[in-house]
Parts: sequence; structure tokens; C-alpha cells
Amino acid sequence: MHHHSVRVISAAAAAAAIVLLASVPLEAQSSKTPWGDPDLQGTWTNQTLTPLERPAEFAGKPELTEEEARAYEARLRQQNNADIRTPGTRRDVTVAYNDVWWDRGERIVADRRTSLIVDPADGKIPPMTPEGQKRAAAARAASAAFGDNPAAPEDLDVYSRCIIRSALPRLSTGYNNNYEIVQTPGYVAILQEQIHDTRIIPVDGRPHLTGAVRQWLGDSRGRWEGDTLVVETTNFTDEARGSTFRDATKNMVLVERFRRVDAETIDYQFTVTDPDTWTRPWTVKMPWNKVDGLMYEYACHEGNYGLANTLRSARAAEKAAQQK
Amino acid sequence: MKRILIAAIAMFALGVTPVPGSAHHSFAGEFDVEKPIKLQGTITRVEWINPHAWIHIDVKRPDGTVESWAIEGGTPNTLYRRGITRESIKAGMVINVDGYLARDGSKKANGRDLTLPDGRKLFLSGAGANEQPGR
Repeated sequence: MHHHSVRVISAAAAAAAIVLLASVPLEAQSSKTPWGDPDLQGTWTNQTLTPLERPAEFAGKPELTEEEARAYEARLRQQNNADIRTPGTRRDVTVAYNDVWWDRGERIVADRRTSLIVDPADGKIPPMTPEGQKRAAAARAASAAFGDNPAAPEDLDVYSRCIIRSALPRLSTGYNNNYEIVQTPGYVAILQEQIHDTRIIPVDGRPHLTGAVRQWLGDSRGRWEGDTLVVETTNFTDEARGSTFRDATKNMVLVERFRRVDAETIDYQFTVTDPDTWTRPWTVKMPWNKVDGLMYEYACHEGNYGLANTLRSARAAEKAAQQK
Repeated sequence: MKRILIAAIAMFALGVTPVPGSAHHSFAGEFDVEKPIKLQGTITRVEWINPHAWIHIDVKRPDGTVESWAIEGGTPNTLYRRGITRESIKAGMVINVDGYLARDGSKKANGRDLTLPDGRKLFLSGAGANEQPGR
């Protein structure tokens, strides 16, 4: 009898669900996977001209008007135009190549904010702790000590060595800011075009790895909070230059939130917490916008001649200095 | 040209420092700011590889000898996304290179500015170069 009433109730619930589905717009229906998780799948870009921190010129002004936004975008596009030369300067060398190779984007974020940082409210990275400042200064000094003349590959950062493009979380950079999300029951996978790394994120409630296991992209665990995918990442490593996010320690905790707001947009937010580095946690909000085109493989080791060329150049400079 | 000049003047007037690019690695470790170089050569092959494409050219010296040079570019992914493929840039094309010489003294340079002999930008002159599928 008991079982029977459960069946009756489920049948009624199923009928109600069918009625409900029929009345829900098509777009909202497709925002769930067949197994009922919110659907984040697709190819996305986090490319934006909006700076991480609010520039001094916009102090106290978290948002631009439509007109101000268009003027600001025009100015940023001009500043980023790699076809404008400054011959004979270090900058001219480091810009490296024509504008056609660069793809920084044309627009700031749609809500016209003046910083990607939404917390603290001033749009700035919070002050560093004394310990964080000391660590950052030591890292700068180490980098300045070899300058353009690294003694060994280990002097160069993880990015130049094709280990990871950059530590998590990833911000918008000069090109290839693309991500493909694929889901299965129990997992969310995020393929990053740079440098074709895939984060395979369990969303089945399992605990983090033991703290002894350290990984370039940390250890991510996801969970659903309503329509939001919340991913907590720990277990970072500081084994190589550039392997932590900005001057953080390997104990930084990253919490990312992905929520699909419409067919074309994921609201992506992250909070970084590292009391050994910053005096308080801070949060970034930036859209991931749908991309119709393809992702392309970025096989970084395939032709990383630049690394060998840089080391050869450093040895040539040493030899020239000895002969003087 | 005039538009760029005006823009450059405006930038100085505003005290705006252009934001330097950040390539995959620092080109200042690989190429010498003190040694700008201009070359004209015929493309022999293009390595469409990451993290940076390399364009190989043969350069005819005034004495008639031919030198092979390798010119470093950026990520080919960006070009593909703009509809520029290996069909756009082929062996036999003549290009001008305005860049900086490799610090190790080898016959390499960065393609800081790549143009066709008539002055047009190399890749922007290719078929479909201004199309950006998917953007």
C-alpha cells in the first residue's frame, strides 16, 4: 500500500514536471543536462579589455556610462595596437610581432565595470601582508638578478617553459583566451586552449587529495549550489617560478563560481584566500562569453625554440663579456 | 599613416603609456634591442607551430650569395581564428622584415613588422585576413 502511494505520487510528480517543462521556454530547458545538472557545456572566452584593478583615473567610479565605455575601449584598443612602434626600445622588442598575432579583444565587460575585482569595493587587490611583501620582493630580486640572461631553464617561469600557461585562476591575456566545458554525470572537464591543459573536476562529493600531493593546477573539487557550479581548488605547488597565482603561497585556496545566466554567457567569479599573502580575500567577476568558432591545439612544447634561443643568447653574452 | 601619427601624438599628450604586450616568453632575452635589422627575402617555408610560428626566408646578399634566415612570429591559433591559414602565406612570396637580430648571433630575427614589398602588412593582406569567424 505504502509503495503504491509512492508510485502514485511519483506519477503525479512526473505529470506535473511534464506540464512544467512544456511551459518553460526552450532556452531554459536546454540549460540542464539530460541527467539534470545545470548545463555549462560549450566553448567560451574570458577575453576582455577590462583591467583586473580599477585604474586611478576611475577611483570612486565603479561603472562607466555607455559613452564613457566606448571612449575607454577606443583608447585601450589604441594602446594595445602592436603595429604602433617605438623603435629601439625594450618595449618594441617585447611587443614581439605585428598586431595580427594579438587578440586582446575589443570590448570591456558588458556591465561596464572599471575593474574585474568586485571585492574589495575599491576594485583593488587588498594590501599584502608583511610576509607576502617580503616574498614578492625576493621573487623580483631573483628575477632581476638574471635579467635577460638565465643560467638554466629553471630560471625561466612556468609559462616560458611550457609547463602551464599560468597558475589558476586564469585571467584574460593577449591571445587564445578560450575554454571548452564538457560534462558527464559526476564530472566537469574544462579544456583551456593555453596550453591545452584539461581540468577534470569531480562533482561527486569526494574529498580533496592529501596535502602531500601538489599539482601545477592544484586539486579541484566541485559541487552544485542551485544553478551554480562551485569549484574549490587547493594543493597548489611553488616548485617553479610562476607556479603560484601572483605572489601567493602554494596554500592559497581558490573558489570559482560558474553560473549560466543565458545561452551566451556564464557569470564566472572567483575568490582567492591566502592569509600568508593578502590581508583579506578578494573576488573577481568576469563573464565567459560563448564562442561559435573552434578551439585550436596549443602544443607549447612543439616548437618552443625561444627557450633554447634565450639560453644560447645568455651564453653568447657571457662569452662576449669574458673577451672584453 | 596620418591617423596613426595623430593617435601617437594624442597618446603623448594624454601621458598614456602604451601597454606592452606579453608574448609567451620575453623576446628581450632572445633578440637584441641594440641590433635592429631589416631584411627582404623569399619565403622558403613556414612552421605553423606553437608557441610561436617561424617563417624561413632566403635573403640575397649584395655579393650574390644567399643566406637563410628564420623569423619568429606569434601563435598561429590567432591567425587561424582570423581565417589566415597555410594557404594564405606560401613559399615563393617576397616579404620585408623589420625586427631585431638574435642575441646568440645566429641568422634569426623577430618579425616585429612584416610587410609585403608594397608596404601592406603581411597577414592583413591575405585572403580573408579581416574575417574573424567565431568572434
